[in-house]
Amino acid sequence: MKQPTNKPKKGFSRRKFLARSGAAIAGSVALLYFGRSKIRSGISQVAADVKFDAGITDFDPMVWFEVNEDNTITLRSPKIEMGQGVFTGFAMLAAEELDLPIDRIKVVHASTLTGPKSTAATGLSNSTASLYTNIREVAATLRETLKLAASKAWGVPISGIQTDNGVLMAGSRRASYAEIAGQTQTWEIAKTPALRPASSFKIIGKAQKRVDLPEKIMGKALYGIDTDIPGMVYGAVLYCPYFGGALKTADTTLARKNPDVLSVVLDKSWIGVVAKTRFAAEKAVAAIKVSWDFEPGYSTKDAIEAITVGNGVTVVMEDEGSATDALNSDALTSEYRTPMGFHASMEPSIVVADVSGETVKLYTSTQNVAFIQQSIADQTDYKPENCQIMPAFLGGGFGRRAFKHNAIEAIKLSEAAGKPVHLLSTRQQEFQNGHVRPNTHHRLSGKVDAKGKIQAIQHEFATGSMAFLGMPVAKPLLGADFMAAGHGGRVPYAIPNKKASIWSSDLPFQTGLWRGVGMFANTFAIESFMDELAIKAGADPLTFRMTHCGNTALLQRRKKLLQKLREQGGWSKPKTDMIGRGIAVCEDHGTISGAIVELEIVEKRIKILRVVQAIDAGLLVNPDGVRQQVEGATMMAISASLYEEATIENSQFVQTNFHNYQVAKLKDTPQIEVVVQESTDTPSGVGEPPLSPVAPAIANAIFNLTGVRLRSLPLQTALDKHDQKTGE
Amino acid sequence: MKVNLTINGVASSFEADPDMPLLWLIRDEAKLKGTKFGCGMAQCGACSAHVDGELVRTCSYPVQLAQGKTITTIEGLSANPNHLHPIQQAWLDVQVPQCGYCQSGFMMAAAHLLEENSNPTEEDIKTSITNICRCGTHPRIVEAILLAAKLKSNETTN
Repeated sequence: MKQPTNKPKKGFSRRKFLARSGAAIAGSVALLYFGRSKIRSGISQVAADVKFDAGITDFDPMVWFEVNEDNTITLRSPKIEMGQGVFTGFAMLAAEELDLPIDRIKVVHASTLTGPKSTAATGLSNSTASLYTNIREVAATLRETLKLAASKAWGVPISGIQTDNGVLMAGSRRASYAEIAGQTQTWEIAKTPALRPASSFKIIGKAQKRVDLPEKIMGKALYGIDTDIPGMVYGAVLYCPYFGGALKTADTTLARKNPDVLSVVLDKSWIGVVAKTRFAAEKAVAAIKVSWDFEPGYSTKDAIEAITVGNGVTVVMEDEGSATDALNSDALTSEYRTPMGFHASMEPSIVVADVSGETVKLYTSTQNVAFIQQSIADQTDYKPENCQIMPAFLGGGFGRRAFKHNAIEAIKLSEAAGKPVHLLSTRQQEFQNGHVRPNTHHRLSGKVDAKGKIQAIQHEFATGSMAFLGMPVAKPLLGADFMAAGHGGRVPYAIPNKKASIWSSDLPFQTGLWRGVGMFANTFAIESFMDELAIKAGADPLTFRMTHCGNTALLQRRKKLLQKLREQGGWSKPKTDMIGRGIAVCEDHGTISGAIVELEIVEKRIKILRVVQAIDAGLLVNPDGVRQQVEGATMMAISASLYEEATIENSQFVQTNFHNYQVAKLKDTPQIEVVVQESTDTPSGVGEPPLSPVAPAIANAIFNLTGVRLRSLPLQTALDKHDQKTGE
Repeated sequence: MKVNLTINGVASSFEADPDMPLLWLIRDEAKLKGTKFGCGMAQCGACSAHVDGELVRTCSYPVQLAQGKTITTIEGLSANPNHLHPIQQAWLDVQVPQCGYCQSGFMMAAAHLLEENSNPTEEDIKTSITNICRCGTHPRIVEAILLAAKLKSNETTN
């Protein structure tokens, strides 16, 4: 790497040091926010080689598995099934080594009482990728352990024992796994054997039906909201809808009058009611007269002003060559913005808290068991080992369930009522009292030479943080959230001079993780700008991107994927003037994802007709599961790109429910085609990567159709504003 | 008030506030958890069930209106678990759900659509079902309804 020539000599700068150590810190900090126990070691070992991992250290087969009497095997998953298909992927990995059909592997969630523990959240598209080897190893170890037990019982050498379809065999002797397990008193755990080679896979890599669907289509799958335990009563909470507000006055007389109301709890910024029925609790809360102390007057305009390049603290994330010098003259400069957005997971936050003596049991929908456990220990008198967390299926994750949410409130209500309390957030609270995807601002400058090559590019962007929620130590230490909100902020192409810097300012409301984290906003800006540069250079946008793919393995895979998109995505197919076509690509968690979008504009409404998504996520464990994730990410991205926007008036979010927060529906469904490229023999993430190319591909297609460059999301709103301005 | 109704073929009686949403009766009193809460104001359709054959968003439907009526929830959509309703069969064949939370509502809406229109076009499906899914199962929902229409017409002809 060349040293920048124009760097001011200010001596050792903490921020520069941090920027250089970015990767190591990103890993450590990601780990620490997913597992508080790692905080101190993470900070002290910034240079240590810590990468995003699964946060699991226990691979004892007796902890992971249980052999059942009906010769099925229970797999206790330390990762949460939130729709991404992780239960199916895990069952496939285990079945491959266990010689058992996947429908005889029953996957359940591990709780803090049983099963392997994960100090990291379920997210970052890493569950299957990071456990791809581990799960096969622990399953293979169980198989060998069963063989060892049979060898002892039968007095035959272990080498003479075969397994097939859940049966152990030696000569004419036969016993099911269950029979051997039933008669084994003391287990000797076998050594982990060599794993079966990919060439012999019977299950991995072949499309499998999801293991969780039979109960999901019958309405029998149990989510956090479905928790129903003996003696359970219902809570409802009134939160301050204003940022940073506190309770000023509260008249709870009417609420207490209802004979079904058991307890009323007043806290600093909320009032909670416990009642025999949910409706009684809701009615009681509605009858509370309340006033709040808060700083009025904050609006979207203030959030946009705060999140603007040049404001707040900056960290240089990348500085190669001398981009600043090269961009002194004749540079093309464009600015982009993305709005705040909600996750709008269909299942609102839900906790059932059951407090008894020094123990608290929590039944909840969460992406982060360890974080909740630690948060409770930090904020209450319960010791972490006395906080038992029982996770359930999630009605959507998307980053919304990475934090603790209403756990503390539910615990306090359970303490007051002396009973288990079911506490469900309302949709309004999900929007107004949750955490949002922060708004962003991007300034990109670039210069293309006479040969059509980008000589220099600079990406400066401003964003609120995503990873710092619940981590007061992170912001003062790191200055800006370059690992989550800054994800994807570096320009990935081979360009001799390039620089990326993040600007960070505080916002008065909670911001947090959202599917794809910073990759969504940063890819919108960078890939829109790549299109602008291509147009300026008079080049075909797809070819232009390929021209800037250098020699690294990732860029070579990107180049190959672009070529594949050109051939299989109909890039050069003749089209009418009524159709716009655009392309964008990104690299996210080692996965390359690219999309071609075709659209039309009918009566001023953007209508996406066709999306061709190409993905290179290495080996595909469950090809149909990957297709599902790509389709899902495409739809969520269409929704976020065209419609979704959270706005603020008088220090509260304006949007309170789906009537004023528009999301994509069936009518917005285009034809979606998925093209697969398998460049590596191990899997990488698929849950997030396909989301990010969609917004810039749409914006680029709109330019292709209309010649109008829309530089802010949501694009339908941007188009409406453009139409108003031009009087169309 | 005392509410008498039939849920999934079972005559039942509950003591309930007349203004209570039918959803809370289904979930908390009848203990049928397949019908979900999503928005509380009939926007998302996660709580959809059939009331006397009509498609109803039960989060915004007071129990007093359900007096004496027949309710079908997702748990009662297939009369027989060994012979799935065409919608559920198609949902399984096409592998529609991801998180699955909104899917009961979608299946109830889709089953109702097929009662009204046994051979819907893709456009009919896209314009008549306005439920919300956040995982992005939309393309498979459309595909599954088209398949279910075929399965259903085969059932009728057989």
